Amino acid sequence: MAGLLSYLLRRILFAIPVFLTVSIITFLITNASGNPVDLVRLGIKNATPEQIAALNAYFHVGEPVYTRYFLWLSQFVRGDMGVSLYSGTVASKILPWVLTTLELQIPALLISLGVGIPLGIYSAKRQYSKGDYLVTTTAIFGVSMPTFWIGIMGIIVFSLYLHWLPSFGAVSAYPPYWWGSIPADEVAHLILPLAVLSLVSLATYVRLIRANMLEALRQDFVLGARASGISDFKVTYKHALKSAITPVVTIIGLTFGSLLAGAPALETTFSWPGLGYEFVVAATSLDLPVVQAITMIITIMVLVANVGLDLVYALLDPRVRLS
Amino acid sequence: MRPELVVEKSHAEKARRGASQADVAWRRFRRNKSGIAGLSIVSFFLAMAAYGLFLDPVPPRSFACLYQGCTNVPPFTTWAHPLGTELAGIDIWQEIIHGSAGDLYVGVVATAIAVALGVVIGAVAGYRGGISGVLLLGVTQIFFTLPVLVIILLVARVSILLVAHGLGLTLIVLILAAFGWPGIAFITRGEIFRVRELEYIQASKALGASTYRILFRHIIPNILSSVIVVSSLLVAGNILTEVVISFLGFSDPSASTWGLTLEEGLTTVRSSWWVSFFPGLAVVFCVLAFNLLGDGLSDALNPRLRE
Repeated sequence: MAGLLSYLLRRILFAIPVFLTVSIITFLITNASGNPVDLVRLGIKNATPEQIAALNAYFHVGEPVYTRYFLWLSQFVRGDMGVSLYSGTVASKILPWVLTTLELQIPALLISLGVGIPLGIYSAKRQYSKGDYLVTTTAIFGVSMPTFWIGIMGIIVFSLYLHWLPSFGAVSAYPPYWWGSIPADEVAHLILPLAVLSLVSLATYVRLIRANMLEALRQDFVLGARASGISDFKVTYKHALKSAITPVVTIIGLTFGSLLAGAPALETTFSWPGLGYEFVVAATSLDLPVVQAITMIITIMVLVANVGLDLVYALLDPRVRLS
Repeated sequence: MRPELVVEKSHAEKARRGASQADVAWRRFRRNKSGIAGLSIVSFFLAMAAYGLFLDPVPPRSFACLYQGCTNVPPFTTWAHPLGTELAGIDIWQEIIHGSAGDLYVGVVATAIAVALGVVIGAVAGYRGGISGVLLLGVTQIFFTLPVLVIILLVARVSILLVAHGLGLTLIVLILAAFGWPGIAFITRGEIFRVRELEYIQASKALGASTYRILFRHIIPNILSSVIVVSSLLVAGNILTEVVISFLGFSDPSASTWGLTLEEGLTTVRSSWWVSFFPGLAVVFCVLAFNLLGDGLSDALNPRLRE
C-alpha cells in the first residue's frame, strides 16, 4: 500500500511540470506578437481609444513579459480565469462548457470500451476468420476517418434526409424535438454526436485490444491456466485480458488529451456547446482570455484523468508500483 | 519499387551473401495484400498530387463556372464536372486533385522532419543514458500528457495570423513536426535499449569503434524498421490533424487542402452534400492507405512475427 501511495504521489508531482509547461506555451503563443493587445486588435478593427486603454490595463501592457506571465498565472491559480472580450467572466461560464463536453465524452468512452473490449477479444480468438476480417477491416476504416466528417455524413443522412434527429446544438430553442418533452429533446441531440464519437474511439480500442490479446493468448501463463483446467471464458476474460488491457489503459491516457479537448472539430460540426466548440469560437474571434482559460482547463482535466488512469494502471499491474 | 529491380541490383552480391534484410522484408511485404493495397493507393495519390502541381490545366479554385452558369452542379450529371461543383462554381474533383498536393506535403514532410529529429535525439539519449536520457524521458512524458491538438490549433491560429501568408502550409508542417518528434524519440530510445547490449555492438566496441560510428553505422540501421512503421502511421495522423486544422479555418486560407473544402462543405451541407462527401472520401482513402502501409510494413519488418 505504501508503494501505491508513493507511486501516486510521484504521478501527482509529475503533473506540476506539465501544468507549468502548458501555461508557458499558452502564454507565449498568446503573446507571440509581443503584445496581446496587438493580436486582439487583429480581430477588433474598430476599437475606440477607451477600449484600447481598457485592454492595455487588462493585459498589463507595459510590464515585462515575465511579470505579465506571473500575474496571469497567479490569477488563474486563484480561480480568476479572466474576462471574455465579448461576454462576461470565464469563471461564470466554464462549468457548463465542461459539463457539456463530459456529457458527450464519458458515455462515448464507456460505450466504446464496453463494445470494443469484447469485439477485440472475439477478433483475437478467431484470428483470420471471416468475423475477424470484418472487424479489422471496419476498424481500420474507422481509425482513418476524420471524426467530424462522419459527423457531417451523419447529419446528411439522419437529419437532412431522414429527418430523424436534430442536426446541431445540445437542446432545441423551441419546441423540443421529440414529443415536446425536454429530456427526450436532449437525448435526441446527444444521439448523433455520441454515436460518431463512440464509433471512432471504438475502432482504436478494438485494434489495440486485438493486438494485445493476440500476444497475451500466446503467453505461457495462458497455456498454464488452460492446462490446469480453467474454463475458456475464465482464461480469456480473467487471465489473458488482465495482461492485455494494461497497454490500453496507457493509450486511453494518451488519447484523453484529444478526447477531452472535446474533439474540437466534432463539437464544431454539431455546434455542441462544449469546451472544444467554445475554444474554436474563441480562437477564431481572438478572444484571448477565453482561449487561455480553456487551454488551461483542458490541461487540468487531462492531468486529473491521467492520475486517475495511473491509479487504475497500478491496481491492474503490480509491477508498476514497485518500479 | 518493382521487385525485379531490387533483385537485379543485388544479384552478384546475393550469390555471395544471401538475401539482404530488405529483400526478405520485401518478399514478406509482397504477400501482404492489404499492405500492397496501401502502397498502391499512396502511389495513386502521389501521382494525383504531381498531376495537380505540374500538369493540371485547371488552376485551383477556378471560378470559371461562375460566368458559365455551372454553379452548384450535382455529381455524376456532366462529364465536365464529374463530382459536381459548389455554390461558387468550384469543381470538387479539381479541389480533390489540388488538395492532395497540400495534404501529402504536410503529412510527409512534417513526418520526415519529426523522424530525423526524433531518431537523432532518441538515439543519443538512449545510447548515452545519463542526464540526456532522463531529460528526454521527461520531455516526452510531458508531450504525451499535453492536450496536443488544442495547442497545435492555438499555435496554428496565431502563427498564421502573425507570419506572412506566403508561408502557409509550411508553418503547419513545422508545427506538426515540433509536436511529432517526441513520439519518434521515445520509440527510438526504447529500441536502442534493446539493441545496445547485443553482442555485435559489444564486438565493435571491443574493436575500438567510436560512439558516433557505433550509433550511426551499427545501431540506427538496425532500429530503422520500427521507425519506418511508426512513420507511416504518423503520416496518416499528420494528415488527419492537418484536415482538422484547415476544417476549423486555422490554416492558411489561400492554400489548397481537403480540409478547406470540407469547411465549405459543412456550411453548404443543406444545399449540396457532395461538397463535403467527396473530399472527405479522399481523406479517408489517403489516411487508410498510410495506415494499411504501416500495418503491412509492421508485419514485414517485425522480427518477432517472422516464421
